[in-house]
Amino acid sequence: MKPFYACNSPQHVVSRRQFLGGAAAGLAGVGALSFADMVQPAMAEQLRRMDKRVLVIWLSGGVSQLETWDPKPGTDTGGPFLPIATSVPGTHICELLPHTARQMHRMALVRGINTAENEHGRGAYIMHTGRRQSPAETFPHLGSVVAKLMASEGNALPGYIHISPRGQSGFNRQDAAFLGPRFASVTLADGNPPPNLFRPTTLSELADSQRNDLRVRLNNRFAQGRRTADTEAYTHTYDQATDVMRRRSIFDTSREPRHLQERYGTHDFGQHCLLARRLLESGVPFVKVTHSNYDTHHENFDFHIEQLGEFDCTFATLLDDLAQRGMLESTLVIVMSEFGRTPTINRNYGRDHWSRAWSVAVAGCGIQQGGVVGRTNANGTRVVEREVNGGHLFHTYFRALGLNPRRNHHHNGRPIPMADPQADSIGEILA
Amino acid sequence: MTHPHSCRFAWCLLILLVLHATAGAQAPLHQRIDESIAAGKLEFAKQAAALADDAEFLRRIYLDLAGVIPSAEVTRAFLGDQAADKRVKLIDRLLASEQYPRHMQRVFDNLFMDRRPDKHVRRADWQEYLRKSFADNKPLDQLVREILSADGSDVKNRAPARFYLDRLAEPHQLTRDISRLFLGMNFHCAQCHDHPLVPAYRQEDYYGIYAFLSRTSLFTDKKAKLAMLAEKAEGEVSFQSVFVPKVSKSSGPRLPDGPALQEPKQEKGKEYAVKPGKDVRPVPRYSRRALLAEQVIGNAHFRRTLANRLWFQMLGRGIVHPVEYDHEANPPSHPALLKLLGEELAAHKFDIKYLLREIALSKTYQRSSVLPKGSEDVAESAFAGALLRPMSPEQLAWSVMQATGLTDAERLAQGKKPNEAALHARLIGNESPFASLFGNAPGEPAGEFQATLDQTLFLRNGDLVRGWLAPRPGNLIFRLGKLTSTDGIAEELYLSVLTRMPTSEERKELADFLASRRADRPAAMQDLAWALLASAEFRFNH
Repeated sequence: MKPFYACNSPQHVVSRRQFLGGAAAGLAGVGALSFADMVQPAMAEQLRRMDKRVLVIWLSGGVSQLETWDPKPGTDTGGPFLPIATSVPGTHICELLPHTARQMHRMALVRGINTAENEHGRGAYIMHTGRRQSPAETFPHLGSVVAKLMASEGNALPGYIHISPRGQSGFNRQDAAFLGPRFASVTLADGNPPPNLFRPTTLSELADSQRNDLRVRLNNRFAQGRRTADTEAYTHTYDQATDVMRRRSIFDTSREPRHLQERYGTHDFGQHCLLARRLLESGVPFVKVTHSNYDTHHENFDFHIEQLGEFDCTFATLLDDLAQRGMLESTLVIVMSEFGRTPTINRNYGRDHWSRAWSVAVAGCGIQQGGVVGRTNANGTRVVEREVNGGHLFHTYFRALGLNPRRNHHHNGRPIPMADPQADSIGEILA
Repeated sequence: MTHPHSCRFAWCLLILLVLHATAGAQAPLHQRIDESIAAGKLEFAKQAAALADDAEFLRRIYLDLAGVIPSAEVTRAFLGDQAADKRVKLIDRLLASEQYPRHMQRVFDNLFMDRRPDKHVRRADWQEYLRKSFADNKPLDQLVREILSADGSDVKNRAPARFYLDRLAEPHQLTRDISRLFLGMNFHCAQCHDHPLVPAYRQEDYYGIYAFLSRTSLFTDKKAKLAMLAEKAEGEVSFQSVFVPKVSKSSGPRLPDGPALQEPKQEKGKEYAVKPGKDVRPVPRYSRRALLAEQVIGNAHFRRTLANRLWFQMLGRGIVHPVEYDHEANPPSHPALLKLLGEELAAHKFDIKYLLREIALSKTYQRSSVLPKGSEDVAESAFAGALLRPMSPEQLAWSVMQATGLTDAERLAQGKKPNEAALHARLIGNESPFASLFGNAPGEPAGEFQATLDQTLFLRNGDLVRGWLAPRPGNLIFRLGKLTSTDGIAEELYLSVLTRMPTSEERKELADFLASRRADRPAAMQDLAWALLASAEFRFNH
């Protein structure tokens, strides 16, 4: 975290910890502005930057750009749906997203993406790491980078949380690559809390605290006369666990007002997005919500009606809720997939994998409101203006977050560029 | 008085002979280790920690040679043993035990394969191959030779080929791993350019290693349905630095600081013993890969790196540290010692047990982890006291099983015919939750120690360890339940979990704790045991 302080003096680290120490229980909207006045302007800028966060909506399988952000009505590839006007004059999106259309003034569209990778795993890798897969290096996910660079000092919660509709809950070490397991992603399968979060029912709170007191006394005796850097890192995780266990209710969406639960949608995706907002509000710097499944080789249009019907209202509510709470200006929202879908409609009324000309939607923190960048040709078969790839997107994300993508990670003394040095940010959509 | 001169001459000769003999009879290696560690440091005697007491030594040597803490029974016997040479005997007993090869197998499996999943060779076969190699005390150079020579075509003995095959024979991956594991040089970024910070790590050295492997690829034998290595007879290696894009260089097979291999001229049309064809595994007459093993083993960096790895395994820090960054700008803390250990390893025909035994016998190894007052800031590289090392996931798994008495209970259940192999088979399944939580991500070399929330939640709230704390005949909580005096309980508990006797302060603390929990004594015992298990003293090898 060092490089992001105005200087490297330990006082800064300490004061940061002191500030957040008091606020750790309910970080939420406090932060930046409330204590910005108390410190030097340069330092306030640093701190404000640290309070940014990221929300990724992952439309798993590959959402169709033609049925969402880049409709091509009346062409051989356009399909049956019509475009509709949005809250941004001149910008049209597919009629399957009526609620989202009314939030368009808060978002920007990148319509000229060419990632040149049509395989699910490798496409997902590009979109999560900003690099193509190569045997030379495994890069960390954006979530792990954000967890490392943007987590608040005093926050015990994991920095990279993935809310998944299915699969297995747990910590995924490989996502952090060389950044190390502390920045691994944590999957909350079906929105359930992390494994082993709850105290065993047979252990009372009192007994738990008594046994922890004993543990602490033992540790203090052991530390005498010994080097303690590593043992402190270990014993600290027990305090962290205590803190997260105490705040376990942040994983419980039933504590939200009934009407808000309904606005988000009582289906899984709605509840998962509501959980995401709770987590972001509680100080988790990176949350990803997966909505599944858009891999529509068959019956592309029926599936998109169904899937986007769930997505549209929930996503629009989420954006609106973040804006109402004053969180949107410090939350970078990214709606993406591993790739888009073929303009050509196959014989099963499906669309196949397609990475040469597709779109991503972004919003919030540092993003130009209502911006559109990049253009595809009339029937969407190639990019004709401002072509970009995963590297450009990552430069843009980092810039939006106030991080310099030209800096390096350091692993075993080896500098590793944070974003692909060959690419640059998409300045047109940066505020 | 007749031949005074010849008499004097004889005396002189005798004295010379005696002097020569003393010089020739070198002190044993463990003494030379200690001399070398202290050499040139005037303050060393004052700064160095005292020798560890028997309990501290016992726990450490068990973890380092058997991979698990000792049982309470073993600890009682060792503490009660009055023999002066009991430490030597213990070291020899552990090196001869069945636990030693299993522990070494785990250490070298993780080292060589970085917890990769099985691809083409069953992990169980590979692990058994390693275990047997360490049980037979196969010379370390021989082990490396077998691994780097295997191509998977010997259907009955495919295990050593796992190193190549489960890396999919990918030449870059292999170049990186071979240089870092066996030559102590992490060439990772020399793939694309000279190392920007380490002048000695040059791109041409990287491609010299790569050239041994670039003609090799993975081949699937359709009949046997097995993957093996194939090799072409042609293909030269050329490379460019990303910093100097227009200049192309080439390299034949050559290891760093090793000779460039002169390749025999092949008669046209006779380059192959088995010619390439559809579904045919090509075998060249001249194989570059076949020469790699001898080049590695004969390389000056090899013995030094392997000696340093064994030192690291016992001390928790390399003489060159990190072990994989051996270069001029990162010099060894004790250059003469590193040279000595490498030479001794080679002179003793790469006898692993010899080197481990000598290290274990040294005072350097046997020092306490408690430093004298005022020495807390002495650099770790001085080896003035034992370093704290987090247990590996496997050491932790087996030690938690031993501490909670799961191992004892299973042994008891075996009845009159205890069988270590059967016991191991029965408990091995408990290793994987620890490996996945506490281990490095598959394919990523283990990095610096990082304690994480999920590990702690697992130890704190998880069912697995909690289940082991339920009373069951022979296990810890069961044994504690049979005891009536709080002193007896304190001793059994501390011996079982922390491999030492409780202090008087701890006896009182425990008595007070139990007095406050009279109503739920069995649960109180579990909470006590948990506190010890969750302590830093347990988590670290110290």
